[in-house]
Amino acid sequence: MASYILKKSDLAEFVESLAGEFPGGVLGPVLQDGKIVLAAAEPREFRLDFQNTHLSPKDLFFPQSEKMLEFTANPGEEGAFILEEVKNQPQRRLVLGLRPCDAKAFVVLDTIFTNDQYSDPYWAEKREATVIIGLDCNEPCPTCFCTSMGSGPFHEEGQDVQAVDLGDRLLLKPLTSKGEEVLKKAQGLTPAAPADKARAQELKQQAEATITDEVETDNIAARTVMELFEAPHWDEVQERCLNCGVCTYVCPTCHCFDIQDEVHEGKGVRLRNWDYCMSWLFTQHGSGHNPRPDKKSRVRQRFMHKFKYIPLKREGAIGCVGCGRCITLCPVNIDVRDVVRDMNS
Amino acid sequence: MDTRTEKIRAAAKRLLSEGKVDVVIGYRAGTVPLRNAPYFARTPQEADNLIWDSNCRVNLATFIPRRQGKIAVVAKGCDARNILNHIVENQINRDRVYIIGVPCEGMVEPALIEARVPEGQTITEMVEDNGQITVKGRDFAVTLEKAEMLRQNCRVCQHRNPPVSDELVAEPVPETAVDPYQDLEELLAKSEPERWDYYRELVKDCIRCYACRDACPLCYCQVCFVDETQPQWVGKSQDATDVMTFHLLRAYHCAGRCTDCGACESACPMGIKVRQFTRVLEKSVKERYGYEAGLSPDEKPPLTVFLPDDPQEFIK
Amino acid sequence: MSSEFEPKIIAFFCKWCTYGGADLAGVSRLQYPPNFRTVMLPCTGRMDPKFILDAFRHGADGVWVSGCHPGDCHYIAGNLYARRKFTLMHDFLAGIGIEPERLHFSWISSAESTKFQQTAIEVINTIKALGPNTRLIKRELKVA
Repeated sequence: MASYILKKSDLAEFVESLAGEFPGGVLGPVLQDGKIVLAAAEPREFRLDFQNTHLSPKDLFFPQSEKMLEFTANPGEEGAFILEEVKNQPQRRLVLGLRPCDAKAFVVLDTIFTNDQYSDPYWAEKREATVIIGLDCNEPCPTCFCTSMGSGPFHEEGQDVQAVDLGDRLLLKPLTSKGEEVLKKAQGLTPAAPADKARAQELKQQAEATITDEVETDNIAARTVMELFEAPHWDEVQERCLNCGVCTYVCPTCHCFDIQDEVHEGKGVRLRNWDYCMSWLFTQHGSGHNPRPDKKSRVRQRFMHKFKYIPLKREGAIGCVGCGRCITLCPVNIDVRDVVRDMNS
Repeated sequence: MDTRTEKIRAAAKRLLSEGKVDVVIGYRAGTVPLRNAPYFARTPQEADNLIWDSNCRVNLATFIPRRQGKIAVVAKGCDARNILNHIVENQINRDRVYIIGVPCEGMVEPALIEARVPEGQTITEMVEDNGQITVKGRDFAVTLEKAEMLRQNCRVCQHRNPPVSDELVAEPVPETAVDPYQDLEELLAKSEPERWDYYRELVKDCIRCYACRDACPLCYCQVCFVDETQPQWVGKSQDATDVMTFHLLRAYHCAGRCTDCGACESACPMGIKVRQFTRVLEKSVKERYGYEAGLSPDEKPPLTVFLPDDPQEFIK
Repeated sequence: MSSEFEPKIIAFFCKWCTYGGADLAGVSRLQYPPNFRTVMLPCTGRMDPKFILDAFRHGADGVWVSGCHPGDCHYIAGNLYARRKFTLMHDFLAGIGIEPERLHFSWISSAESTKFQQTAIEVINTIKALGPNTRLIKRELKVA
């Protein structure tokens, strides 16, 4: 598939030429109240000089609160308490500027939401209706460890079009037929020269070289579940853990949810909300028994899930992409890199 | 090295080697700049990891409830007040907790510092010297006045010295004489719809992670009201009413107990000024009952006592 | 339209006093508008601020809490503890922008049927004048 060059000064033209294709909007990184968020905005507001969005973009396909089914809750009325689908067919959206780690996270979540046993329609419909143009990281952050987690600053998985920042221009490389189709319809593009591709390759090597922090996981695969489960280092981690939901909610691959019904003035909704394994209520049984009764078992679960259970079930693929959000936002500085090193030792 | 760090280490080593305490709860350097970690030193060797700087924001009193054995806690003014709170609320006996008091010159607000570095750049190092903070990154170094980078609660702090301690690691620092509620007065002078809009806007980014609750030393209930299901007091979704209800009830549960330590605000991943809720109550408690939390182990919290002539001008 | 607005008010009454006062007002044929739904409490000391927020959340336009005069509590001092809780809740809700007129507190004994009638009329009229509650109310689930 042919690559293209888009001058940054032509970004507005590029976005406007595609606006008609995407009734759901063109989303990009914008600065809101001091934080980078993915939002629909005027193309000139899109930022290309950011590090990463403050929160993970998982809510594009997996909103924090999502209506699943509806019902009327007036006894006696015809059809009362019969669950109906919520009619909100997602519209086609274009997302610009997604970082490779977050795009890779969608691939991890795809294996959970749409696998050979089950396909979650809420995730799948939105995912299908979205075209993703990534933006590779020329300057990874000190907290990035994507290269250790099967991703990287120039990783290609999960995107429809890969974009490399060449200074005043972007190199756009279609990775899927969906992406190729979009680029064919876009204006403001010129074919890329071999020199541009060579420059991108150079930037890739530079970026990868800046991530010196290696977090090895090979030994985790070799250790048994029980060995890891009973490892002594959990005592140290759990001691300062607050069991809050920061790490889970900012994580691009954490995907647990809780389903609830709510009734307001005769109208009922079945909705799902993000939930987190640090909460004691998460595993509380109706009987009163709780299989994860203490802080330690809950904080251990999060790391075991990402680095042991998911790889066990998904042929070795790790459930972390190394974006580093949990490292910078944890109120008590629990650093996932250190935890994984302990697990790997 | 900061003399406070040296004194804290010395005190910790002494207490641990003499077997006076089982653990010293303090801070160690974080794995990323501007973020220290709570640290639990159990041996004199481990005590060498303890540090003190302007990033010791976590309130260590949070780790006291339900903890066994004898403990020593490195405590700023606010932490010490929260330890007294725990003593008053029977969470720990005074003779089980040794307070290593640290006269505090305020903790910095990372967001203020991060806003002063070149855009798109990350801080990789922070050094402090004599009231100045220098942060460095890949292609920059910026020096800032610490006084301008303080957290809002530290700026208006009235109790920088621990009211009670077993030893102090430095000479007491002068207390500040600012009106802690000036900005709140201005807010309260506005109309009700304006105040409501202010508070609604304040929590619009809330992601319901409950870090504010979990970082708070006052929030030690076995079952929090947000986790109660029969009845369910607050919905679990991102609905604005439920988000607001959570913040109101969280704040109300701290009424007459809050020391304005700012742990909630510092823990918030979204930078929400959650103290704006608790401060309304603390102002009311101070004005109506003349009470400030955590100043004495003998004074009862205001909601556990009454006076026959308590104000009731609004009651028919 | 505003003249047709009939507010929904949730009233929490202590069983030892105001609840009896309401009974006495009833058997005395004292008239007052029917805008409030009563919840009986064993004592205003049982009154939890959560009840107030829950009432608003479920669509109440106002809340009225009433108990025994200070000194008359059946449990000696429940109402005196409650008074402090009410005071802080009153200041707090006003502080964050909820109209204080939506929240009413009173001391009414079981003998004060006339005070009960008058207070009921006053509470209802004040809340009626404010119009429907728009804050802290959840009429439908609003999520993205």
